Amino acid sequence: MRSLSGVIAPRDRQFFDLFEEAGRNILRASDLLDQMLRGYPDKANLARDILICEQEGDRITHDIIERLNKTFVTPIDREDIYSLASALDDIVDFTEEVADYLGLYKIEAPMEQAQRLAHILLEASRAIAECLPRLRGFGDISHYTVEINRLENDGDRVTREAVAALFEGATDPMVVIRWKDIYERLEEAIDSTERAANILEGIVLKNA
Amino acid sequence: MSSPLDQRRLMVLDADSGFVRVLANRVARVGWHLDVRLAPIAVETLAAMRLDALLLDPRALPGAGEDYVIAVCEALPALAVIVCSERSTTAERVRALRLGVDDWVTKPCHPEEVLARVEAITRRRLRAQAPVPPDAFVAGDLEIRADRFQAFVNGRSVELTRREFEVLSMLVKAEGRVLERADIYERVWGYTMVRGDRSVDVFVRKLRAKIERVSPGWCYVHTHFGVGYRFQAEPRDSSDEPRKSAHFTARSHAGP
Repeated sequence: MRSLSGVIAPRDRQFFDLFEEAGRNILRASDLLDQMLRGYPDKANLARDILICEQEGDRITHDIIERLNKTFVTPIDREDIYSLASALDDIVDFTEEVADYLGLYKIEAPMEQAQRLAHILLEASRAIAECLPRLRGFGDISHYTVEINRLENDGDRVTREAVAALFEGATDPMVVIRWKDIYERLEEAIDSTERAANILEGIVLKNA
Repeated sequence: MSSPLDQRRLMVLDADSGFVRVLANRVARVGWHLDVRLAPIAVETLAAMRLDALLLDPRALPGAGEDYVIAVCEALPALAVIVCSERSTTAERVRALRLGVDDWVTKPCHPEEVLARVEAITRRRLRAQAPVPPDAFVAGDLEIRADRFQAFVNGRSVELTRREFEVLSMLVKAEGRVLERADIYERVWGYTMVRGDRSVDVFVRKLRAKIERVSPGWCYVHTHFGVGYRFQAEPRDSSDEPRKSAHFTARSHAGP
C-alpha cells in the first residue's frame, strides 16, 4: 500500500536525476583525487580533470536550484533539496581544493596519510553515489549512512594522526603549514559526505 | 677564434700537392695550424713541435715507410697518426692499425672527410686526457661531479635537479651501505622527516628514471624494502635483472 506522501507527491522526478548525476560526479572527482595522490607527482595533471568535475558540480547545483525556483510543488521539501545540493557540491569543492593546493603549495611528494584520507573520501563518495538512486523510492539507506559514518570516523582518526605527525621533531615549518591546510581540506571533504548522508537519512525518514 | 696557445696543430707529410692544397684550405677554415713537409721529420723534432695530429702518406715520401710510422707511434703515443695513401693491402692496413696508427684513409678521398677523421681522433684523445676534476666519482657509466652538482653519462648530462643530485650524492658517499629514508631526508632536506612523507621515495624514483634514460645497461639505486636505499653500480643482464656488482671507483675525492 502506498503512503499518503507517495500518493500526493508530484511527478517531477528531474530532481532525482540531478542528484544521481551529482553522485556520479562526486565519485569521479574523488576517484581522480585518489589516483592523483597515489601517483603524485607523476599524476599531478589530474588536477585539471578534477577542476572540470568541480565546474560540473557547480552546473548541477545551479540546475537544481533553478528547477527549485521554477517548481511549485517539489517531490521533497525545498529546504532538504537545497541542503542536499549544497552538501553534495561541498564534497566536490573540497576535493578540488585539495588538488589545487597540491599545485599551489608546490608539493613535491605525497604523504601516506593524505593518500589514506583520499582513499577514505573515495569510499565515502562511492557510498553516497550508490545511496542517491535509492532516494527515488525513499528506501532504506541505513547501510550506506552507517558506512559513511564509519568512514568519517576513520577520516577523523587519520587526520588527527597526520596533524600530530607534523609536529613531531624538528620538522620543516613550511611542510607543517602546507600539509595542515591540505589535511583540513581532505577532512572537510569527508565531513561533507557525512553531512550529505545525514540529510539523506532525514529525507527518507520524512518521506518513507 | 682559438688563441695560439690552444690552437690545434696538424702536420702533413705528403707530396700530393693537389690534395694538400685543398686540405690546407679546409684546415685554415677550422682554425688549425698546418705544417706541410715533403720529407720525414726526425721523431725528436716531431716531439718538440707539440703536434696534435700527423697525417702522412708513406708511399709518397721516401723514408716515411712502415718503420718510420712505427717509430713515431711508439715514441709519441699521444699524437694522432692518420695514414692517407693510395694502393694498400688489407694486411698492410691491419698491421699499421695494430702498431699504433689511429686511422687509415685510402686515396682518392675527400680532404674534408680526412680532416673530419683527424678532428674526431684528436677530440677523443683530448677527452681522454682531460684532467680528472676533483670530487668526481665514477660508477658504471655514471660520472658524478660534485663541482657541477650534476651527473654525466659519456659526457651527457643526466639533468638532475639540485635536490635529486643531493640525494644521489648522499647515496654515493655511503659507498654501498643502506641509508634509511629518514637519514637521507634529514641530511638532504635539513629537517626531521615527517612520518609518512614520501619525498625520498619520489626523488629516488625520479633519479632512477633520469639515470636509466641515459644509462639503461646499469642499475644504480637499490631499494631495501622497509629500510631505505643503497647505491651500487650493477650491470643489468638481458633479463633486466642486476647481476654482479661493479666496483665503485672514486677517481679522486676529498671526503667519504
